[in-house]
Amino acid sequence: MQSILVVEDSATMRSLIGATLEDLDVPVKITEAASGFEALRVLPRGSFDLIVTDINMPDINGLELVSFVKKNESYASIPLVIISTEGSERDRDKGLGLGADAYLVKPFEPDDLREIAKTLLSRVQADE
Amino acid sequence: MAARRKTPSRRSKAHREFVSEAEEILERMRDGLSDLADQQTNSGEADPEVINQLFRSAHSLKGLSGMFGLDGLGELAHHLEDVLDRVRLGRAGLDAAALGLLDESVALVALTLEKVESGTQDELLDRVAEVIGRIDAWARSPEPATEAAEIELDPAMLRALTEYEEHRLQENIRRGRRIQVVEASFDILAFEEGLAELTGAVREVGEVLSILPSPGEGDESQIRFSLLVATEIPPGDLEARLEMPGASVREASRAGGAPAVAEPTAVLASDSAVEPSLDAAPELTSLKSISDTVRVDIRKLDELMNLVGELVVQRGALARIARELQALPETARLAADLDKVHKGFERKLQDLQSGVLETRMVPLRQVFEKLSRVVRRLRRDTEKEVRLELRGADTELDKLIVEELVDPVMHIVRNAFDHAMEAPEERLAAGKPAEGCIRLEASQRGNDVVITCSDDGRGIDPAVVHSRAIERGIVSENAPLADREVLDLIFAPGLTTCTEVTETSGRGVGMDVVRANITALGGLVEAQSELGRGTTVTMTLPITLAIIQALIVGVADQQFAIPLNSVRETLLVEPDEVQRSEGRELLNLRGDALPLRRLGREFGLGGEDQSRTGKQYSVVLGLGDTRVGLLVDRLEGQQDTVIKPIQGPIDSIRGIAGATELGDGGAVLVLDVAALVEDGLRGGDSA
Repeated sequence: MQSILVVEDSATMRSLIGATLEDLDVPVKITEAASGFEALRVLPRGSFDLIVTDINMPDINGLELVSFVKKNESYASIPLVIISTEGSERDRDKGLGLGADAYLVKPFEPDDLREIAKTLLSRVQADE
Repeated sequence: MAARRKTPSRRSKAHREFVSEAEEILERMRDGLSDLADQQTNSGEADPEVINQLFRSAHSLKGLSGMFGLDGLGELAHHLEDVLDRVRLGRAGLDAAALGLLDESVALVALTLEKVESGTQDELLDRVAEVIGRIDAWARSPEPATEAAEIELDPAMLRALTEYEEHRLQENIRRGRRIQVVEASFDILAFEEGLAELTGAVREVGEVLSILPSPGEGDESQIRFSLLVATEIPPGDLEARLEMPGASVREASRAGGAPAVAEPTAVLASDSAVEPSLDAAPELTSLKSISDTVRVDIRKLDELMNLVGELVVQRGALARIARELQALPETARLAADLDKVHKGFERKLQDLQSGVLETRMVPLRQVFEKLSRVVRRLRRDTEKEVRLELRGADTELDKLIVEELVDPVMHIVRNAFDHAMEAPEERLAAGKPAEGCIRLEASQRGNDVVITCSDDGRGIDPAVVHSRAIERGIVSENAPLADREVLDLIFAPGLTTCTEVTETSGRGVGMDVVRANITALGGLVEAQSELGRGTTVTMTLPITLAIIQALIVGVADQQFAIPLNSVRETLLVEPDEVQRSEGRELLNLRGDALPLRRLGREFGLGGEDQSRTGKQYSVVLGLGDTRVGLLVDRLEGQQDTVIKPIQGPIDSIRGIAGATELGDGGAVLVLDVAALVEDGLRGGDSA
């Protein structure tokens, strides 16, 4: 079973994203983190196949999280999706520049998220 | 393009979650706005962190509304976000007009949310459009020009800055602050405490612009944080202040400015010597639920509380059976076992009880913050200059009590603002600072919480109150009253309708309602005032309502329960110790005159009489600093009780708070200590 980490400070949004991802054709295990710090704490405890993160969060922002993941050799290969409320183009470019694999705008279409997740997860599987 | 849920039930659950989270966001926004307004009046400068939090709230609200297809709310949140974004990025200033507009928008968000529950939010679309129009008009005002400042920073750090963080960096450089990088490593599984300590220490002398995590150098179990900091003090001083071994500070160099203190260091991935060990990933336990808090419907807590209450009563029955068994020789051994079990049960029950009680406790902060919003609005609508000082917002009370407190406390603060506070000229003429001060203070004292509201306004003239009360027939002309007793008349019903009194004395509007509300919570409210100097209203409240320990007393053939937290002591009283003065009975309590009341006479039970010669007990009741002695025939022991409200002809009898069950199945009436103490002070009807 593949494992997905969802990092998002809004509880409602977190469970919406979780519910969307649970609807994939393949079984997945969803782990939720309510802040960037929580994600940092959770990362070493699980082995994740995909990370979905928000940008605007109270402690460290999503870009800082992406930067951390990509710099850390243990996690650098985990694909990353940023879901953020439509907003600054610069934030999007920065996210992709730091190595995020996809950028989705809230409110997102659940099918889009599922499509992206499926593609990225199959890529991980192919690598293994 | 809303997310369509598959089943209606799931959708409605998600919907409820949405409303509840949106309400939390709303509350945060109100707090933020209130902070901003305070900062503007105090220092004239808004805290960028508060503006950023407001922005983030509007941003979350927009995202959520979009997912649920609430277009009007989404639009409104979007415009709010837009305005706040400009402000936080320094592209627009925050003036009174903008604050007013934000206030109004947030109020409209609240209104819309209320309607969302019934699905009628579209009724407000016109108003939403109107407010949006005004936000747009405001937002079109010219933006102050910003010039970019250059700084040499580690590119890895720059790359992870959001637009807002970049703006804060620029802004701080423009203000001539020194940009420094603080680095420290922590254990990856427990970094938060150390990091919080570090950021806390930095924030005392500067602003934390960004926190960039990176892998520990060569050590998997470590995590390194680079804090981008703006401050006025040099790196050496900052490092000394941090007092954290292993934390390093260096200054980022300004382009064309001071020389670089250090090369950009190991934050870059290519430089770090990380030794990956993929197999070191620890066990994969369930991590699904990581969040530390849950929201619970208060009704569920009420149910739990009732259950605990019933257990408490059953425990009483258990204790009684154990005692009876002990008396019989043939069951003595079983009785000893039962007693042991009972003791264990009692301890666990106490833990359970305090656990449930604690769950219901909430800080007064919410009430206080509502008040600062109200005062802000009043200040805006009037000429008065009044500062509201809040202390002890973290003091905790049962949620139910906190909710019931909002109205009375609001009333008292409004009264202080409307009636006690003079206009600035009048204050200056009286030799006071033009700005008045209302101070609201809460603190815990034993089982009570004391909340005081003091102002430095004109104070209450006892002579005016007295003559008005005589006019109104509330007191008779020749009854001698101490100033304290006269002041207490402001809580009397009947004085309230008289507007002249409120204008001249500064108080009187609905204070009888305030007293009724506080008394209903088992509390006490008193006023002290000094003419020309100000007034202090003191409220004393029990921390919790639900389960109480009671002292059971007997008068004639009746039993009564007295909440133990209001019993200060009990005394054996000989008949000749009771003194009489001006128609009242008093007891000399270590040099102080303790007003006495006879419980039997209160309720027309006969029983004791002042001519009888037998010994009696005085139960010294205390609420706040006030003491009254209650004379009873017998003390019959202590008991845990759950007060149940009573209905029918006796529910309106003054002095009775409710009824409770005893362990043996009998029911007794619970005395309303607040009412007895108040009547006792006034001399009561027995005088």
